[in-house]
Amino acid sequence: MSSSVPAIEAEALVKIYHENSAHPVRALDELSLQVRQGEIFGLLGQNGAGKTTFLRVLTTLTRATAGHARLLGLDVARKGLEVRQRICAVLQENAVELFLSVEDNLQTYGRFHSLRRGEISRRSDQVIEQFGLGSNRKQKVIDLSGGLKRRLQVAKVLMVDKPVVFLDEATTGMDPISKRATLDTLREQARQGRTILLTTHILEEAEELCDRIAIIDRGRLVAVGDPNSIKSYGSAAVDIRVTYGALPQEAIARLSRFPHTRLEQRHTTLEICIDANRVSPFDVLAEIAKIGSVVSFEVSSGTLEDAFVELLGKGRRERSGDQ
Amino acid sequence: MRMILAVMYREYLIRTTTLTWAFYDLFIPVTYLLLFGLGLDRAVGSGLSIAGKQVGYNAFFLPGVLAMASFGIAINTSYGFFVDRDNGIFYEFLTYPMTRGEFLIGKILFNCLLSVVQAMITVTLAALFLQIPIQWAFTSLLLAGVVIGTSGWFFCLTTFALRIRRNDMFNTFLNVAYFVLMFASSMFYPLQGLPPWLQVVAWANPLTWHCDVLRFITIGVGSMGTVIVEALAFNLFLIVSFAGAVHTLRRGVLG
Repeated sequence: MSSSVPAIEAEALVKIYHENSAHPVRALDELSLQVRQGEIFGLLGQNGAGKTTFLRVLTTLTRATAGHARLLGLDVARKGLEVRQRICAVLQENAVELFLSVEDNLQTYGRFHSLRRGEISRRSDQVIEQFGLGSNRKQKVIDLSGGLKRRLQVAKVLMVDKPVVFLDEATTGMDPISKRATLDTLREQARQGRTILLTTHILEEAEELCDRIAIIDRGRLVAVGDPNSIKSYGSAAVDIRVTYGALPQEAIARLSRFPHTRLEQRHTTLEICIDANRVSPFDVLAEIAKIGSVVSFEVSSGTLEDAFVELLGKGRRERSGDQ
Repeated sequence: MRMILAVMYREYLIRTTTLTWAFYDLFIPVTYLLLFGLGLDRAVGSGLSIAGKQVGYNAFFLPGVLAMASFGIAINTSYGFFVDRDNGIFYEFLTYPMTRGEFLIGKILFNCLLSVVQAMITVTLAALFLQIPIQWAFTSLLLAGVVIGTSGWFFCLTTFALRIRRNDMFNTFLNVAYFVLMFASSMFYPLQGLPPWLQVVAWANPLTWHCDVLRFITIGVGSMGTVIVEALAFNLFLIVSFAGAVHTLRRGVLG
């Protein structure tokens, strides 16, 4: 497959659930985007934004109402089997065989993906070690913790070498060490040329891991680009964090005069997020210095979360304006 | 073929890792026959007269037990869709590199194999311990009847399992269906003695067709003409159920 062919391509994709009912749900609304081969692509959005529906269309679990979706150039609606031969998916639920052991879970997964017997054993040993599941090898999955089940679910993806991997909130429920190991593994997989499309609610994770990110809202694409450009899409957000020796009473009132998107107090620390296009950070810093004795301060550009909130709000304002 | 084998292997692993299921699958029918059948056999005493032939209750009940076993395996297998759906593995399966047909066929082939083993155990133990006069010459026909019965009920119940999305609703549906289908059939008693309205219901019940065909094959009781019509009707039921299950899996579940 030529690397110039996009790994995933969606054109004006529409999915309407309960189409013939009194309350149809438009889960995807003319969504168009491309994912290049070998990239880690993050799909962000609130609950009900359409992320899982998009994944369900691409993994042949549901058919789009209109528009086209292609995976490595194959139409997902017409070439379902060929598409499934090129993908593996970790879906939102803990998709594991509860009554089978960890080892049997991995081995049946290998069988379903046509691995030879020797290869199945070799890979399952390797994956069990890589994901620290050695002591649970013979244990039935029903007896494992939620985090371990999730780890096993992600581990299955490494049993096979499919070019496109779908991960729907794959690290949910994992402890920080497992999560770190999983992210490192995914990065390594992408370096080896696999395309990874993931959805997550954890924006720091997306920022750290993804080459590009798309934000969708109510089935529509709001923004797409690398994490840094996404941050700049929303607004010129600047975060200022200041810690006073003792927090003056009037501090919040004085800072709230500046246009801000967030102003929070934690003990003697204040955090304010401002839009640099509307107010100069230097003016805010000057005011901070006048308020009282500053122990420490920190200025940083806005986070992905700030941009996310801003972009979603902006998108909705524009849409309600259109109507 | 490789995918069908993979589905069968997965079914095998699940059944063998849980001993209670293995016991239920293989020995419940014979236990039913030995306890319930034996008790009723003693109560009925001189047996039943069917189409001018005197038959002991145990012999009469054996084909009913075989039909019940096919029905039971079909229930367990179709209920498996709910277990898989609750675990989340059902949707993952549908992203594996196989067709929807391979998925269904793999599931039913293993369970047909199971029903064949179960039928052989039941019939052998019935002949050994209850001295039921089995027509051994028709063993292959008997096994074909068991396979067709299990498949028909599996595809029929699969259609409902895939359409009814709630576990509790499917459970209720199964309990009602099981109760009505079993007692409005020739599984436990001959239809001749039933009230006319219940006879009409029973004659329209595929479980009656299955029981009658198995009864004719196993112990040679029944009218050949009626049994041929019932066998044809059950095969039609199987074909319609298969078409319904595949259609539902393609459209109903996948949206």
